[in-house]
Amino acid sequence: MADAITEQFSAPLTFNWTLSYQCNFVCSHCYSRDEVAEELPTEKIKQIVDLLVKQQVPFINFGGGEPLIRKDLLEVTRYASDQGLNVSMNSNGWLLDHATAQQIKAAGFKSVGISIDSADGASHDDFRNKNGSFARATAALDALHAVGVKTTMSSVISRFNFKDFHALLDLARKHQVTQVYLHNFKCSGRGFKNREDLDLTPQEWKDFYVEALQVKNDTDDLLISFDDPVIASLPGYEENPLVKGSSCGKLSLHLRPNGDITPCGFIPLVVGNILTDDFEELWYNSPVLNHMRNKEAKGKCQGCGVYQDCLGGCTARAFATTGDLSEPDPHCWK
Amino acid sequence: MNLKRKGREGEGLTLLERNPQIVWRNEKRREEKVLQGLEAGEDVAEHGTVILMISGMMHQLNLLGGMIWNLCDGSRDEEQIVDELLKEFAVERELLAEDVADFIQDLLKRDWLTYG
Repeated sequence: MADAITEQFSAPLTFNWTLSYQCNFVCSHCYSRDEVAEELPTEKIKQIVDLLVKQQVPFINFGGGEPLIRKDLLEVTRYASDQGLNVSMNSNGWLLDHATAQQIKAAGFKSVGISIDSADGASHDDFRNKNGSFARATAALDALHAVGVKTTMSSVISRFNFKDFHALLDLARKHQVTQVYLHNFKCSGRGFKNREDLDLTPQEWKDFYVEALQVKNDTDDLLISFDDPVIASLPGYEENPLVKGSSCGKLSLHLRPNGDITPCGFIPLVVGNILTDDFEELWYNSPVLNHMRNKEAKGKCQGCGVYQDCLGGCTARAFATTGDLSEPDPHCWK
Repeated sequence: MNLKRKGREGEGLTLLERNPQIVWRNEKRREEKVLQGLEAGEDVAEHGTVILMISGMMHQLNLLGGMIWNLCDGSRDEEQIVDELLKEFAVERELLAEDVADFIQDLLKRDWLTYG
């Protein structure tokens, strides 16, 4: 065994990959619904897979947009999983019936996450602006479970559902989900436009996380994940994260449909293109990535006793609201 | 010391294999730095050169551990692994064999390695 993980890795562990911004839903909180980018043909996508294999990136997660809208998703996944990549995706479940679940299994997906924002069907449909979406999402979870694909559930916590997360966990149990991601709301894209309606106050975020961390620590039949660096100072936070602060640019990167690389899906700063630029040069020397890896405290973070643990919280939220990667996370209650 | 995997005792299996469920990779740039440090006489035992991702947690192996891990590809037994390492390290075989045995025993207990 060796030291604590403090040095930079030779490549990301995960590429969050948006193959297409197209989606069959119009959700109020979506970070990408208003984005437009040229999509790559299958052969170019396979070239990217080859590059990720060469760089020994172990995980790719397809997001979007709705990944299943891409007709070549299963072909690309088969190509990647045959080369040892661990492939997962996040879907709204609308296009995922039993036959598709079988194809997903055959393509080699390691897990599939389904987005569900409320345990109440009518509320979920209303939030997602799509009648019948709850029924299809839960049916997708059941279909995937039936064919032996590991399922996760993704719920973006916002004013719409923050008081009802217990019901979301029960829903996950009912559908044999192994892990629930209670994602923190990001004020990017449509989420930024609808921020006033959807975001919580810093005190509400604190109260939510204190309760949710307690539930997480008392739960042994379901994995609950938050992935929000702003919680590092809270009682009950017992995780030993691989890196401090945001993991974007340190453990993960995001790919846009045209091959452009951004630190994460919520930070619209292109650091280069994976097909036309030298990847190692970008990974080690990108000014944006290095800025994110070496943030210096600004504003109220200066002199804060927990800065060494949270490193200013979520860099994407800070950037979205201030235009500065180093400003404090607007969700911070300190 | 019993290093045989449960259920396979008495089968005479000796070749060491990595658990195929474990996602791992060599951290090449770190390895280069560690090798440079080793050349310069620095203590590099606490520097990771191989990372393993297991059940959402990450673990690191140092230079020697990483070399052993890479050699556990199902084609070598413990003695052969020691033979390979002796080509890289100028140490007494007995001392090296002891370290290798301890490391392998630890990883067998964790089910990160098996006999195949």
